[in-house]
Amino acid sequence: MNWLRRHGLWIAVLLVAIVAWPPQYYPEGLRITLTRWFGADSYRSLPESKPSATLQPEVFCPPDPSGWRNAQTIDGVDVAESKPCVADNPYAVAAFVRGTNNVSQQTLLASGLTADAVEKGRDLDGDGDPDEIHIRLEVAELNGSSPIDAGPVTRYAIAPGVEPGLWVFSPKFVGMAVENFESQQARYSLRLPSPAIRIEQGDVVTVTLENSHYMPHTLHLHGADHGFITADGQGNDGVPATSEMPVMPGSARSYELTPRVAGTMYYHCHVQPHVHVMMGLQGLFIVEENRPDNWLQTMNIGAGLVRVPSQASRESYSQEYDLHYLDLDQQLSERIQKSNDPRLVTQSMHRDYDITDSTSDYFTLNGRSFPYTFRESLIVADKDETVRLRVVNGGAKGIALHTHGHKFTVTHRDGVPLPEAARAPQDVVWLATSQRADIALSFVNDGLHAYGRGIWPYHDHQNNGVTTDGIGPGGNISAIVYDEFLGDDGWPETRGVSWDNYFTAEYYRREVPVWDSYAPRLLGEPGMDGSLLLRLLLTGAAVGWLAALGFGAVRRHRG
Amino acid sequence: MQRLLLLYLCCALTAAQAQHAGHEGHDGMQVTATGVVMNENRERLPNGCDQISGDEKFVIHAGRDYANNMPGVIYGMSQHEVRVRPCSRVTIEFINEDETRHQWMVHGLPKYLYPAGMFHIEAMGGQRQSGTFIVPAEDRNYLIHCDMAQHMEKGMRGQLVVGSGSGDLWAVTGISDAFRRSAYLPRISALLVILVVVVAFLLSSAARRRARPE
Repeated sequence: MNWLRRHGLWIAVLLVAIVAWPPQYYPEGLRITLTRWFGADSYRSLPESKPSATLQPEVFCPPDPSGWRNAQTIDGVDVAESKPCVADNPYAVAAFVRGTNNVSQQTLLASGLTADAVEKGRDLDGDGDPDEIHIRLEVAELNGSSPIDAGPVTRYAIAPGVEPGLWVFSPKFVGMAVENFESQQARYSLRLPSPAIRIEQGDVVTVTLENSHYMPHTLHLHGADHGFITADGQGNDGVPATSEMPVMPGSARSYELTPRVAGTMYYHCHVQPHVHVMMGLQGLFIVEENRPDNWLQTMNIGAGLVRVPSQASRESYSQEYDLHYLDLDQQLSERIQKSNDPRLVTQSMHRDYDITDSTSDYFTLNGRSFPYTFRESLIVADKDETVRLRVVNGGAKGIALHTHGHKFTVTHRDGVPLPEAARAPQDVVWLATSQRADIALSFVNDGLHAYGRGIWPYHDHQNNGVTTDGIGPGGNISAIVYDEFLGDDGWPETRGVSWDNYFTAEYYRREVPVWDSYAPRLLGEPGMDGSLLLRLLLTGAAVGWLAALGFGAVRRHRG
Repeated sequence: MQRLLLLYLCCALTAAQAQHAGHEGHDGMQVTATGVVMNENRERLPNGCDQISGDEKFVIHAGRDYANNMPGVIYGMSQHEVRVRPCSRVTIEFINEDETRHQWMVHGLPKYLYPAGMFHIEAMGGQRQSGTFIVPAEDRNYLIHCDMAQHMEKGMRGQLVVGSGSGDLWAVTGISDAFRRSAYLPRISALLVILVVVVAFLLSSAARRRARPE
């Protein structure tokens, strides 16, 4: 009896600990022995799947109240229809074609551009189009920091809820950087990628970089025929170490070229290029072949469909698209969001950041990732068309560009035409960093070039490229859509799963089971095993109690 | 939304242009080679103003030079605070000394006089641009800024103080502190703070032990 009073308590607590300990964690040998004696444990239902979260998907296809998508003639410029749901401002397109110094005041106001954004002068070769071209570029920061707001300012989302810090060259627009004072959303003209620029072979071109940013920048015309110094002896190659002082904040410099050779080239900042180029300071720079009456759309905001294609393009192609691929490292882009002091930002970006340890997290096509790509970068065509694609890979890694339903033909590499013998149809083309390819995409349904009408995705076939920070579908997926598969609003009539979850920030924050929209009970997220937790807590309490008893006994013994 | 706004803006502006073609100092927007003035107002009185209390003129320079080598500031203005009497007619002569665009923009004005509550002057690089507006009757502080991406954040943030104002806005360059401020300390400082806490604890307990009567 005395023994029981002395030892009963700790034995009882020990028994509780043993009984409470979940059988699924018994040692394997013990479990097998118990099975031999008693057979398997009785059935215990697995936890129910969690109910699907109620998410508010964004509007897939924003309406187009001002009819920007429509074909229209503005100031004598025929601006082609842009079929996907989000289109560029056609007044800006017309102003880029005529020159902002030549359009009516009404068109200039509707374009939002400054009067000197793209000035066009004399026709030097007398072939009916202007050859003196003066382009002005500013530098803008998107999703940067502020001394007031916790969130990013001048916001630009590449995908729902994904707002990496970016730097872009931008055309010169008047007015605010944001849509309105309340919203902090960047206006449509401030976006990734930097605009595709088009000039004509033989044009006398000046590109003025007005550095409106807070860091030094330059302009380097990669692949385009330009002199090392300008006529008045200024640096013209954009490289601080070899040709010139960088353009400091608040300052401007003009670069000059009269390219003798046509082709798809590239422009980018050359100050700390491992950081600045990868922040988005890069764009397509296209030298079109000289033709009569060749009024070019000097800038293509956000790349994509060229609504006023060149004469040379019209000769062989029904449409032309600019496709700019860029991958981003989140560990780089977030650095402009962590501090507002430009000295700390500089230290973080140019000294702390180590690109040799970097990985790419976001994969963009024309400045967006899936599903936003489907608003803007669809290639919309129909049978028997041949479409020209001008592609640049501005990212840190190569891309394996693949088209479903089509085999395309690479006609030019880095702006240089390939010999006929080298022009074999292919469905994957490798583009190294900064490489360009001109692609002829045929819609002739012959089983080789095309397999018929449909919604055919095109994407980087390296599988990180089809994710957004590892969540798929994301990245640079877009599609070739045949007319009959496109709704009137410009949204493709897809036949697979609901896209509701893809249009939520929660999905890309990894909060939603990937098949939640169509298999919530089958493969949803399991709920918690409450009884397991209870048993573990009970065991824990018992063990704690035992420890206290043991500790007390030791102290009594010593005392 | 952006397009609606733009459309509205364009319609409003072209209408205003058509109405006032050839006149100086009218409402709406004028885009010239030197810049832009938007929502200028020389005559119409805000509610609560019986008359214009007086004319005030400010010449404001903008650019890199006016960051005045303040640490961490890139762009600035010759004055970041403009004090005016209620109901006064204010003319701003804005001189941009940089080679890039700059803006002088006031927000929060009454929307029945100023569309989107905004008065806006924008000068192209190296240009000057002037505009006039009438301030309301209430004592209040209004935000002045350059709305080019990051220009406000990197220094071009000011305040318009009408009458005795309603308290300083945050982060006005040279006037008020940043609402969010970086910690200008090396990482080791956290350890230092912990060390000081431990030392203080030890000292205090040692002192108490000595004071305790044995």
